[in-house]
Amino acid sequence: MGKKKRGGHPDIEEILGRPWCYYCERDFEDLKLLISHQKAKHFKCDRCGRRLNTAGGLSVHLNQVHKETLEQVENALPNRQGLDVEIFGMEGVPADVLESHRSRLIQNFYQAQEDRRLATGNPLPGQTQSTRKKITIETAEELKARLAEWREKRKNGGAMEDVTATTTASHPGFSQQPFGDNIPSRPPPGVPFGLPQRPGDGVAPQADDIDNLIRMAEARAAADAGDAAAKASKKDKEKKGRMIYDDADTSPEERIAALPRYAYAAAA
Amino acid sequence: MAPALQFEDLVPPPGDAVTALKFAPTSSSKLLVSSWDTNVYLYDIAQTEINQSPLITKFKHQAPVLDVCFGDDDSVAYTASADRCVNRIDLETGQISVLSKHGAIACAVVYSAAHGILVSAAWDSTLHIHNIRDPSSSPVRVALPGKPHALAISPSKMVVAMTGRIINIYDLNAMRDLLSAGGGDLKPWQQRESSLRYLTRAVACMPNDAGYATSSIEGRVAVEWFEDTAESQARKYAFKCHRQPAPDGDGDIVYPVNALVFNPVHGTFASGGGDSSIALWDAEAKRRLRQYLKLPNNVAAMDFSNDGKYFAIATCPGFETGQEDYSGAGLTNVQFRILGDNEAKGKSSK
Repeated sequence: MGKKKRGGHPDIEEILGRPWCYYCERDFEDLKLLISHQKAKHFKCDRCGRRLNTAGGLSVHLNQVHKETLEQVENALPNRQGLDVEIFGMEGVPADVLESHRSRLIQNFYQAQEDRRLATGNPLPGQTQSTRKKITIETAEELKARLAEWREKRKNGGAMEDVTATTTASHPGFSQQPFGDNIPSRPPPGVPFGLPQRPGDGVAPQADDIDNLIRMAEARAAADAGDAAAKASKKDKEKKGRMIYDDADTSPEERIAALPRYAYAAAA
Repeated sequence: MAPALQFEDLVPPPGDAVTALKFAPTSSSKLLVSSWDTNVYLYDIAQTEINQSPLITKFKHQAPVLDVCFGDDDSVAYTASADRCVNRIDLETGQISVLSKHGAIACAVVYSAAHGILVSAAWDSTLHIHNIRDPSSSPVRVALPGKPHALAISPSKMVVAMTGRIINIYDLNAMRDLLSAGGGDLKPWQQRESSLRYLTRAVACMPNDAGYATSSIEGRVAVEWFEDTAESQARKYAFKCHRQPAPDGDGDIVYPVNALVFNPVHGTFASGGGDSSIALWDAEAKRRLRQYLKLPNNVAAMDFSNDGKYFAIATCPGFETGQEDYSGAGLTNVQFRILGDNEAKGKSSK
């Protein structure tokens, strides 16, 4: 069985596996996105817009091209502006920073999970719902006895309504249960059934959806930019232009001036 | 970078295709437009702000007017016309007088206020150098090695682009010495081969007197520096622009780059092409700053006002190889926009 993904909430391995930016703590879908983020946000020359690979590279560029010195990394968290660490993607992140980031992610993850559980009343993934009514397993004799009892009640008429009413109220998912010869298939284990989602629950997944949307858009934009660049360079090499005007000796003005419409009678 | 940048029309437009468009040296809102319909139009953009017609007046010539430039102040203009004449217009009285006559159609005029020199170029491969400070003197004729197509002037130099990819750079001080000597031979300060393979279409000089840009009929712009040192010459470069992918997907359609003009304030430059688009470039940083929204027609001429506030353009149908007839009547527009503070500012000059 493959990994099951549900609810839009990634599991802790997924979260810990995401590359993130040392300078601003933002995390990304993959390393390529992280690197392009760093080049655009932290290693971009504000004089000429050139995107360098590292802070050191930017420092050398500023020094050589613009005769300036790089003081700090742009757009970085206050304690991460230093030039002493050489960062490229996830490389070069000091071990203690890696560890504290990791532990903070783990803490946040379990905190969020707990918050969700409190907000929705849903069980944590992988745990069975303790509040759910246990399905009692009856022997054939017990079942038959119960059926007989139920038929008895049905014969008596009015009581039936009472029975269904109580069943529906106590476990709505099993409203059909009383009809012994028509038992519904059991819901898959672990999936809470019959419980409508509480309104409060909507908030968390929505926020996550928006994040996902943004990330997907980012990824797409990055891919598009890449494609466009590739196309442009291809065009340069392969395609030959067709010139709208290709006379190497006579300018368009000379041609126009030669037209009868504009010809000046040189009588004067 | 916002691409949706609109231009406003100046109404009424010229009666036929535009050959040149120049802002006045003093007032930033006045401009002259020369046209194939034999008129030179004087507009004042400021009039549109008080809901008046921006067209102040027009000056009728004997023949189509191929170029126009202002003189020392906003009241004098010079024109080059198809009747081979170089004319002086008194913009206040409307009086037109002929300064000199070439052997063929006069195609360009430039004026240096600092030197009091008016230079005209004609298709008989000559330049006429006029001493405006001494109206009684006759112009000095200088032979060119090729047919001139574009003239541009910087504070100290004049660039002439000719057929055969020849580019001559003249020193304006040498020109003044020539005038005071009353004639003689004027040697170019430098003669260069164009960096572009095809016919030069436009030339514009950097306002800081450091160099110039040229454009060709083959969708390309080159930027070069005057200084004749190995380092300076190594800095020159050319790039492709004003091209569109062909509709059938096979190659590009390459348009001529008809107009080049530097922004006097920021030192960036604009290029206008047959693809009906205008782009702003930072020559130093080698970057495109912005591309304006597609215009209805081929860009024929452009200019920035002296204070960099206004950017005016003229559009009319483009002329294509093999075209039998041509008319810009009814399809010509003069448009302007007020530049934002940083619109034409180079990225490097932050």
